[in-house]
Amino acid sequence: MFWRFVLGAVRFRRRRLLLAFSGLAVAATLATALFSVYSDIDRKMRREFRGYGANLLVAPAGNLQSVPMRAVAEAEKLGAVAAPFVYAVGRIGEERVVLAGIDFQRAAPLTSYWRVTGSRDAGPGECLAGNVLAAHFHVGIGQTLPLASGSCVVRGIVNTGSDEDSRLMVPFARAQAEAGFQDSASLVEVRADGQRVDEIRAALARALPETDVRVLHAVAETEANVVLKVKAAVFSLAIVIFAITTLCVTGNFSALVIERSKEIGVLKAIGAGEGKIAALFLSESLVLALASTIAGYAAGLAVAYGIGRKIFSDSGSVAAIGVDFAVFAPVMAVTLLVAVLATLIAASRIWQIEPAVILRGE
Amino acid sequence: MFLRFVGQSIRRAPRRKAMAIGAVALGSAVATAMLGAMLDIGDRVNRELRNLGANLLVTPKSGSLPVDIGGIRYQPAAKDEFIPVADIPRIKSIFWQLNITAVSPSLHAQTKVQGRDVPVEGVWFRRDLRAPDGTDSAAGVRAVNTAWKVDGRWIDDREANEHTAECMVGAALARRLAVRPGSTLDLFGERFTVAGVLSTGGEEEDRILVPLEVLERLTGRAGQVDTIQVGALTKPEDAFARKDPSKMQQEEYDRWYCTPYISSIAHQIEEVLPMAVARPIRRVADNEGQVLNKVRGLMLLIALAALATAALTVWSVMATTVLERRYEIAIMEATGAGSALIVALLGAEVAIQGALGGLIGAFAGVQLSDAVSQTVFGVHAEAPAALVPLVVAVATAVALAGGAQPLRRALALEPAVILREGA
Repeated sequence: MFWRFVLGAVRFRRRRLLLAFSGLAVAATLATALFSVYSDIDRKMRREFRGYGANLLVAPAGNLQSVPMRAVAEAEKLGAVAAPFVYAVGRIGEERVVLAGIDFQRAAPLTSYWRVTGSRDAGPGECLAGNVLAAHFHVGIGQTLPLASGSCVVRGIVNTGSDEDSRLMVPFARAQAEAGFQDSASLVEVRADGQRVDEIRAALARALPETDVRVLHAVAETEANVVLKVKAAVFSLAIVIFAITTLCVTGNFSALVIERSKEIGVLKAIGAGEGKIAALFLSESLVLALASTIAGYAAGLAVAYGIGRKIFSDSGSVAAIGVDFAVFAPVMAVTLLVAVLATLIAASRIWQIEPAVILRGE
Repeated sequence: MFLRFVGQSIRRAPRRKAMAIGAVALGSAVATAMLGAMLDIGDRVNRELRNLGANLLVTPKSGSLPVDIGGIRYQPAAKDEFIPVADIPRIKSIFWQLNITAVSPSLHAQTKVQGRDVPVEGVWFRRDLRAPDGTDSAAGVRAVNTAWKVDGRWIDDREANEHTAECMVGAALARRLAVRPGSTLDLFGERFTVAGVLSTGGEEEDRILVPLEVLERLTGRAGQVDTIQVGALTKPEDAFARKDPSKMQQEEYDRWYCTPYISSIAHQIEEVLPMAVARPIRRVADNEGQVLNKVRGLMLLIALAALATAALTVWSVMATTVLERRYEIAIMEATGAGSALIVALLGAEVAIQGALGGLIGAFAGVQLSDAVSQTVFGVHAEAPAALVPLVVAVATAVALAGGAQPLRRALALEPAVILREGA
């Protein structure tokens, strides 16, 4: 009997309930989408900062001129990306040029911001030329530079806007030999996970006491700042939106009860207790809220997935938003709470309704 | 008569009308707050990203290749290649001068300290740069590199003084030379006091910084600099920005020139400093665009989601309002009112509620986006003046659209049918 009443109400007032349902479903959708995006934004934004290259630098300390190659292995052991660089002065004809020895495989993730025409990689007997250097010696891709220590074929032209533009990039071993280094490098660049920069710096400094391990403040701090602020902005906007949609839904649910004063009057007149009537309305609201939370949650996940795909897909990550119960539980709790509270506030009127007054007409 | 009817309808059920207006106001507040925040956040993040340092490097045109590693030159620089200090303010006279946030000129030299070659850089620490049009702006290394940290204090060089006997030492170099703030160092045969030790993590940690005028005097290069670092707020490069400007049509060229792409700003700096080349520092410039595009895109999608919700809310509230009045509509129809009159009456009511709610919501939304901006970025958001009228207009339109469907339905049904199901 009780459930027949509830279901009957749903059937008879389809149109009106549909509105309340969609209002709450939209609120749940938005909450799910925003909080899903929010919970993942940290990882996604930090990935965008990878393009800035290294955030740690291992440089020689004291009177040393070089860093042991062990530094690369140590950094990789800590889960960071690391690449050694070695610099030497070479000769082309009468002119001196700076040779930068690069382990192209290891350096690739750290030099993704280089604009290169041609190849990004050079094997033995090959090299990449900075664009200023290439213009100075009038060489293009495929041509040979008569380097004094053995000529090399230019495989690519590099444009970075800084030092590399006037340098010649050669395989690491070759520059190492020219610099007279054995098993060591001029410096090692390290890209550590943004949240673990300080931890990795400390671990590297302990493992390599003969070196100077530095944090590139500008990169590390800007990353931390921007990620923090974007996160805070998304969070406060999510709260604002959620609060306002919740208020709207509250109004909607209260109206559901208020509009039915006449019905309540009839129920009271034929002898129904106030508690029972309130329970009727409450279960009606709960059924509605449950349905709309589930619908809203599904829709919200789709929206969050769409946002993730649309914006962050090109950075090589799969939009990994799954069924996240960390989001589902609070959204469910809040929507149910809102529905129940709104209904209860309105239901307090049930006690005040005098059947005779209501039924006589307003 | 018409006005009295509308006025009376509002007076008669103030509670219900207030609820509808409130709902519209809430929806409009979400929309306004989102739009305000969205328009604002890109600029904020852009400024935040400027902490990474310069994104343009201006150097003299040179016939020779620079041969230096870590600030040590292996080939002396040609004496006739320089940028005159007097020309620096011209950078602030280009078309996009307001987008130039900081300028830092420097002169490079090297000297022997404790038997080893050490790079010395003459810089402005913090100066007021007076642009040709008379406006002042901050310039110098501290303006460009806000992330640098100092142990001790910065040298105060607001007044140019070529006899300041102070220097700043990079942290790595300070460890090697075993100097601290307050120690003394001999540079170019003169005695300097270390004012502070500089931590940056970068190459600057192996250098000594002195005021520009001091190094000019010591090296006999009065009024000359060999590098200018420029920080500029730019628009992320798109496919159009990558086109070669020398091959553009006049129209395209104008559009390119009047867009703050890093390449067009570099081009304009080369126009005012013909002796120099301006090159975008790709590491900073390109990534900046990338991060900025992501943040903007994210905010745009969130805003769209919120706008859709706000519209849906307003729409559903107005649909309910009209739905509730269908008996009234039926009675009016039964007593002989034409459809046009009923549409006008209810339309006016809905429009008034929509506009009023929109107005309240727009103002509340401006406050909200300001509050978000305050807590997140610590600055006031500047909501564009057009935002409030726009939101009011849209709220009214959406309210009318929401009311239209149930109204049409009510008018299409026979009054008798509606009246029978009611009561």
